[in-house]
Amino acid sequence: MSEIAIYVKNLNKSYNGIKAVDNLDFHVNKQECFGFLGPNGAGKTTTMKILYGKSLKDHNQDTVINIFGLNPETDSLRIKAFSGVIPQQDNLDSDLNVTDNLLVYSRFYGIPKKEAKKRIDELLHFMELQEKAKMKIRELSGGMQRRLTIARALINKPKLLILDEPSTGLDPQVRHLIWNKLRELKESGVTILITTHYMEEAFNLCDRIIIMDKGKKMIEGNPRDLLSSNMEKFVIEIYGACKNQNGCTDYFEKNKIKYEFHNETLFAFSDNIDSLSRFGETLNGFDYHVRHSNLEDVFLRVTGRSLNEYQ
Amino acid sequence: MNINNEYKVPSLFQRIFSVWSRHDRVYNSNFFSNAFPSFFEPVIFLIGIGIGLGKMIPKVGGVDYILFLATGLIVTSSMFSASYECTFGTFIRLEFDHVYDGMLGAPISTYNVIIGEIFFAGTKGVLFTFGVLAVTWISGIIRYPLSILSIAIGFISGIMFAAMAMYITSFVRSINHLNFYFTGLLSPMFFFSGIVFPIETLPKTLRYISEIIPLTHVVRLARAFCVPGLLNAWLILDFIYCIGFIALFGWLAVKRMKKRMIV
Repeated sequence: MSEIAIYVKNLNKSYNGIKAVDNLDFHVNKQECFGFLGPNGAGKTTTMKILYGKSLKDHNQDTVINIFGLNPETDSLRIKAFSGVIPQQDNLDSDLNVTDNLLVYSRFYGIPKKEAKKRIDELLHFMELQEKAKMKIRELSGGMQRRLTIARALINKPKLLILDEPSTGLDPQVRHLIWNKLRELKESGVTILITTHYMEEAFNLCDRIIIMDKGKKMIEGNPRDLLSSNMEKFVIEIYGACKNQNGCTDYFEKNKIKYEFHNETLFAFSDNIDSLSRFGETLNGFDYHVRHSNLEDVFLRVTGRSLNEYQ
Repeated sequence: MNINNEYKVPSLFQRIFSVWSRHDRVYNSNFFSNAFPSFFEPVIFLIGIGIGLGKMIPKVGGVDYILFLATGLIVTSSMFSASYECTFGTFIRLEFDHVYDGMLGAPISTYNVIIGEIFFAGTKGVLFTFGVLAVTWISGIIRYPLSILSIAIGFISGIMFAAMAMYITSFVRSINHLNFYFTGLLSPMFFFSGIVFPIETLPKTLRYISEIIPLTHVVRLARAFCVPGLLNAWLILDFIYCIGFIALFGWLAVKRMKKRMIV
């Protein structure tokens, strides 16, 4: 059905004896959006960097990395020629204006000036920056700089886009704009790799994700499937009220409802919303919140706290 | 947005030149504040020491002191501008501005980045050598037509000091440590390379040291093109020294910097 764009098997990377990536396996299909999730230090960025040759993997005979048929250790230039990389930190040239930034970058791909200018016009339109063409980088807001960094990575019409936390620290409007643009790119045939802390982002964009922790893959799959197969449908969060009170836990244990404490908040999970709300109603309205479970709950369950399980 | 089916890696020349032209573009956006110190320092030195002290000093090596000093200072501007470029400049691009991270996301290798940067420093060397030379022409200090060729020596010294600076920078973890390089190495070098006084006047041991340091050789070459009658076959040894120095430190810089950029 779908062709494989990226195939990685048994990837390892250590820094000074500490394993940043530990026996990682994954593959990405062509035209797919593939997400890496995980807490800071999980090895997401390192994995991405290895894919385009910015980091070197550990030497290990069993490791296989195949990026559209190429190996980043020997063919990183060829890989980068068809890729667009958006690093975690913007690194635009702050002394140059918007157009010049893109023009300088187009030369790295050997794009002739005339063609580059045309392309820059298109890209500024695409990222809704056409009004800013002559502005200096330091006059741009954080969101504009991020959009420009994305535009810059698109200068060579890449077939593979590598984004490291593209929307961290941005306001909701800009985030949604970026998501729309990424969806458009995917529609047009681009394969997208993305790391993110925003569960919502992964849920919105990714066909498949892996959640990593301490360099290892914890869980892999479609975000919706992961949610339905790993989590109950609903969650009640109870703030403070259950701290020194056994009444809460008694109720959950009696009704065989999974619950856990995190700091002073109690989380209880159930497919039956009534059983949660019924308990909530016994509390003061500001002390609790019943909601649909989301990817963040999956994330915390696989990477974070151990669960107090009855049954 | 349609996907481009032909993705070509630019040629080696294009890649190195694209790095060069990035620096050129950024540098020119603040040209005057960037160029001011490297150009004016040697000129001020020439005026202050040359005119003031020159009156008290008889001929040096058969020429007026001011001519002696001027011919030495021609390549100094190149040395300092290349050294600043590839110490503070490189460090800031590496650690603060993350310029290399941007370049290395494009089809550019660490080798291309480093060579492009060293060439850019060489180009600045040409620019400043020419600047100082023009001052000495206009003021009538240097009149020898062959002096135009000393611009090439400015280029060579720019490359030499850029390669060495880059090698040093590859070890540096805090930008303040670069001060050791300037105060501890470049400043003493300035005084023991035959710029301010002829090295022949030094005690024997110091003369050997003076022959080891790179600045001595480029000063000798530059001076030979600016003062009539100094050109001779022995200069080929200085030239060979320069080429060997560039090859050695260029290689070391690439090797070490690569480890800094690709981790």
